[in-house]
Amino acid sequence: MNIFRRITFALIPLALIFFSTASAQADGPATSPEKEAELIAVLTSEAPASEKAIACKNLAIYGSGKAVPELAKLLSNEQLSSWSRIALEAIPGSEADEALRTAVGNLQGLLLVGTINSIGVRRDTSAVELLAARLQDADPEVASAAAVALGRIGSPAAAKSLQSMLAAAPAKVRSAIAEGCVLCAERFQADGLETESIALYDFVRKADVPEQRILEATRGAILARKKNGIPLLLEQFKSPNKGLFNIALSTAREFPGSDIDEALATELARATAEAPDRAALIVTAMADRPDTVVLPAILKAAKSGPKQVRTSALEALGRVGNTTCLSTLLESGIETDPVVSQTAKKALAELPGDSIDKEIINRLAKPDPKLYVLLIELIGNRRIDALPTLLKAVDNSDKSIRSAALTSLGNTVPADKLSVLIKQVVTPKTPDDAPLAQQALKTACVRMPDRDACSTELAAALERAPVPTKIALLKILGAVSGTKALQTIGTAAKNNDPQLQDVASELLGDWMTIDAAPVLLDLAKNAPAEKFQIRAMRGYIKVARQFTMSEPERIEMCKLATEAAQRIPEKKLVIEVLKRYPHLETLKLAVKAYQNPELKEDAAAAALVIAQKIADKSPEARELLGSIELNKVKLEIIKAEYGSGASQKDVTEILKKQATDTPLITLSTASYNEAFGGDPAPNAAKQLKVQYKINDKPADVTLPENSLIILPFPKEKK
Amino acid sequence: MSKNVTQLHRRQFLKTSLSASAVFAAPMIIPSSALGLDGAVPPSERVVVGGIGIGNRGTYDLGCFLEQKDVQFVAVCDIKEKQRIAIKKRADDHNKNENCATYRDFRELLDRKDIDAVLIATGPNWHCTAAMQAAKAGKDMYCEKPCTKNIAQSVILKDTIRRTGRVFQAGTQRRNLPHFAFACELARTGKLGKLKKVYAHPAGMQAMMSGWLIPETEPNAEVVDWNMYLGPAAWRPFNAKLLDGFNFEKGGGLVGGGVLEWGSHCVDLCQWAVNDVPAPIEYDPPKNGQLVARYADGVELIFRETGWIPLGSCPVRFEGETGWVETGDSGKLVLSSPTLLAGRTVAEIAEYPATFHVRDFLDCVKSRSQPKGNAEAACNAHIACHAANIALHLGRQVKLDPKTNEFINDEQANRLRSEALREPWRL
Repeated sequence: MNIFRRITFALIPLALIFFSTASAQADGPATSPEKEAELIAVLTSEAPASEKAIACKNLAIYGSGKAVPELAKLLSNEQLSSWSRIALEAIPGSEADEALRTAVGNLQGLLLVGTINSIGVRRDTSAVELLAARLQDADPEVASAAAVALGRIGSPAAAKSLQSMLAAAPAKVRSAIAEGCVLCAERFQADGLETESIALYDFVRKADVPEQRILEATRGAILARKKNGIPLLLEQFKSPNKGLFNIALSTAREFPGSDIDEALATELARATAEAPDRAALIVTAMADRPDTVVLPAILKAAKSGPKQVRTSALEALGRVGNTTCLSTLLESGIETDPVVSQTAKKALAELPGDSIDKEIINRLAKPDPKLYVLLIELIGNRRIDALPTLLKAVDNSDKSIRSAALTSLGNTVPADKLSVLIKQVVTPKTPDDAPLAQQALKTACVRMPDRDACSTELAAALERAPVPTKIALLKILGAVSGTKALQTIGTAAKNNDPQLQDVASELLGDWMTIDAAPVLLDLAKNAPAEKFQIRAMRGYIKVARQFTMSEPERIEMCKLATEAAQRIPEKKLVIEVLKRYPHLETLKLAVKAYQNPELKEDAAAAALVIAQKIADKSPEARELLGSIELNKVKLEIIKAEYGSGASQKDVTEILKKQATDTPLITLSTASYNEAFGGDPAPNAAKQLKVQYKINDKPADVTLPENSLIILPFPKEKK
Repeated sequence: MSKNVTQLHRRQFLKTSLSASAVFAAPMIIPSSALGLDGAVPPSERVVVGGIGIGNRGTYDLGCFLEQKDVQFVAVCDIKEKQRIAIKKRADDHNKNENCATYRDFRELLDRKDIDAVLIATGPNWHCTAAMQAAKAGKDMYCEKPCTKNIAQSVILKDTIRRTGRVFQAGTQRRNLPHFAFACELARTGKLGKLKKVYAHPAGMQAMMSGWLIPETEPNAEVVDWNMYLGPAAWRPFNAKLLDGFNFEKGGGLVGGGVLEWGSHCVDLCQWAVNDVPAPIEYDPPKNGQLVARYADGVELIFRETGWIPLGSCPVRFEGETGWVETGDSGKLVLSSPTLLAGRTVAEIAEYPATFHVRDFLDCVKSRSQPKGNAEAACNAHIACHAANIALHLGRQVKLDPKTNEFINDEQANRLRSEALREPWRL
């Protein structure tokens, strides 16, 4: 089998392309002499380039020094050079290195650039001299490739050659030489050649090279100096150059140890006075070092000073602060400036640690009056378990304190204490508190893990509450949902009070689960007032129309809706549902509806739509449709073709002959092939395309083979 | 680098209630007081952005960028003329001018001094190479995933981003979706007990390669620049079927498929759940639809095709000794116990706009902080995906040294760590 021929597929599972390797051993040699020989044979054959390409790719895995000569021959092939290098970069050993070095002498342009790039990837130290010579190549792409390759090799000799060329190189090449120098410096650093590394970084950052290279060298120079690099880093914070300032910010974040944190704290003080915008960014960088951050410095910045520094510091405290920051954040949280107060409040909500929660509770034992509301808000925002404190606050004479307490109760009250919030709803301290208490109860109820248990409590409260409160509780039950809530609201819908009927039927009409259907149907029949019956009927039809359910369930709902609907508008809505779900049973219901003179037109239109979609599978549909007298139209067949692709048969005349004064065309037989006098495209899926006019308005339709021919009414132009 | 930069803070989810304030409609880094009097962002606060390869996904990303008031989108590069025209029109309509420049070669776009950042949304063939070029040109970048084609690219990319000091945000937007963040936080902070297993959905554990198809007439380069489309991929003749950038040379055509496509999201989330440690050290071959990898501390990363609770695409599951959590793109969370929600509702956790990931990037462009999908995190996740694919391809276990990101005593696997780029491209 020639597996390589399979590559002419766009996307191929690799199992089909590559040799099976299931038996390969982890520690064994990567090469497989037999596989390699077969692959080399492809390269030496007259096989098309596509096959040679994939052979190269496989040789990256199975090739050895034996494959190198044939691969090397492809380095000068514009189509296959890149494929060849996939293998040559991967095959270990000196043969591949040597082949690539040799090719450098024979190639030029892009192919030479690619070969040099591969030498760089292989970090061939023997190529340094050869690459150094290419730094002066007239082609800047070649010289640049050589520079980066020397950087990847990273030896002292490579660095030396790069350094010697930097100043004199053309501008187009200088960036790559600087890149090579930075790579060498990085390698020196990793190899413990600290002095050499620093010298090289400094050399680049003082050279006439693009700014990005200077930034890289500056970062390297700072980090290579270790602690001694801190002054250089701080120097960048003072630079008017935004790039250098930015590189200081990012380098500060990665600087090891804690000395830098002290330095940043000092720098923050200076920058706050001289450059507040920059100080704000320094604070953020400080907070990005949470393990060693000098918190007092950020705390100080948060207390006073330029607004942008303060807000940055307050935000930072939310991430790295502790209990020592609480007073400052609380004081800031009640300032009149909304930016400051909101930032502080956000930080207070996010401040990590249980000790913060404890401290907030402690402060609430003897609260500072001006902080009382904020502390109560924090109970809710931090989800602190502090029910007694909130219950005390909810009884306070100050409305703002009661409001905060109710909101926090909504966020924190546990399931077994839900009654405390229900009590606030049923008997609010003042009428003004009622809306907030209701909102809090809703917030609490929707997060209760046991919805029915929650609804049971609400239902019990409903019984003893006055009507306005009942309405509020019913709305909360609607938000909770679930079986018990549905049952309670269903009962309320039949209550004697019209207000409760109104709210309950509205809630049921908007119910989001299918279990509302029987309740709605019952209400549609038995609600105390017609308007609520209508609302329930429409809710029931909506469930049938929109919700996910099985086909038999939906058909049953449609049948029940057909029987229950009393008025023409609802009956028409049911017909719309039938039209939406084509099935023999929905067709039967549409045909039945057709018997009602007031529904004739809608039912006939629905029956046509349903029949067209199911006629090919349900022969009975044709018969059912026969019982419907369709509206008369002026029908003109313009052109009709039947067939597949280029094999089309003109059936215009046949169709014209069969056309009448309705949109339905009945052929002599259900089979198009028979009716149209033969199969124009055997074994192919065929279509009937018809261009026509109904009441002088043009339209066209494409129908699958043997489907019922119902010509849709032309769409009105908008 | 500070290890906790991307850590989700304990109270972060509470921000929903506070963020309702108009004050926080603007990002933290630009308080409303810094905005111009007419509500427009002053030039000093703007991030000037260019787009590279804005196709289907890129168009969505672009919309997220354009929604941000401090973004000024000024240039688009695409190898397809049709896309260049379409994106220019969109940008010009948005900017109410005709200034969006168009380029066929992204290097010209990168040469522009006024551009601060680029959106890279080419096919995966180009992601890493374009990102490297952007970083070396001094641009910050939002780069769609998969970000790399192999392990070597992953290592070089994160090293380069560090070296150049650029801000890199992978298109791993789920790191900024609260329900995923919440699930990861539960795992990372010990709320599930000692972590035992993290599960990712690879959505098709089969590597695919792009072939060398029957040659077709190559279009005029102005219409479709085939040479630039191939870019770092080995040469082959034009065939229109290969112009589907989404699949072309994903993973270099050697490894890729679902493990990389979806893994760069799901595995990335698993990596977050284990606190963004280096990639697992052992990868078993697939068995019964599962591929098991192990981290150095023994936690298992399991690529699993089936057995998920239906929670939408990109599901992940984290199991500890005392609890578990599973979530997916539906935004729903299933937990071993409701107590893990700590009094919140799932709705409270899950409702947040997806454009937040772009906002995170833009804020970091200004602050020079690390975004959630930073190069270190993204590349570690990609390394895990590539290593899993190599185990899948070889049909046997492979062991990875997390320090060198090389396979231990395994030349065959190591040969699959990288792949040569077509001339003149290099990393």
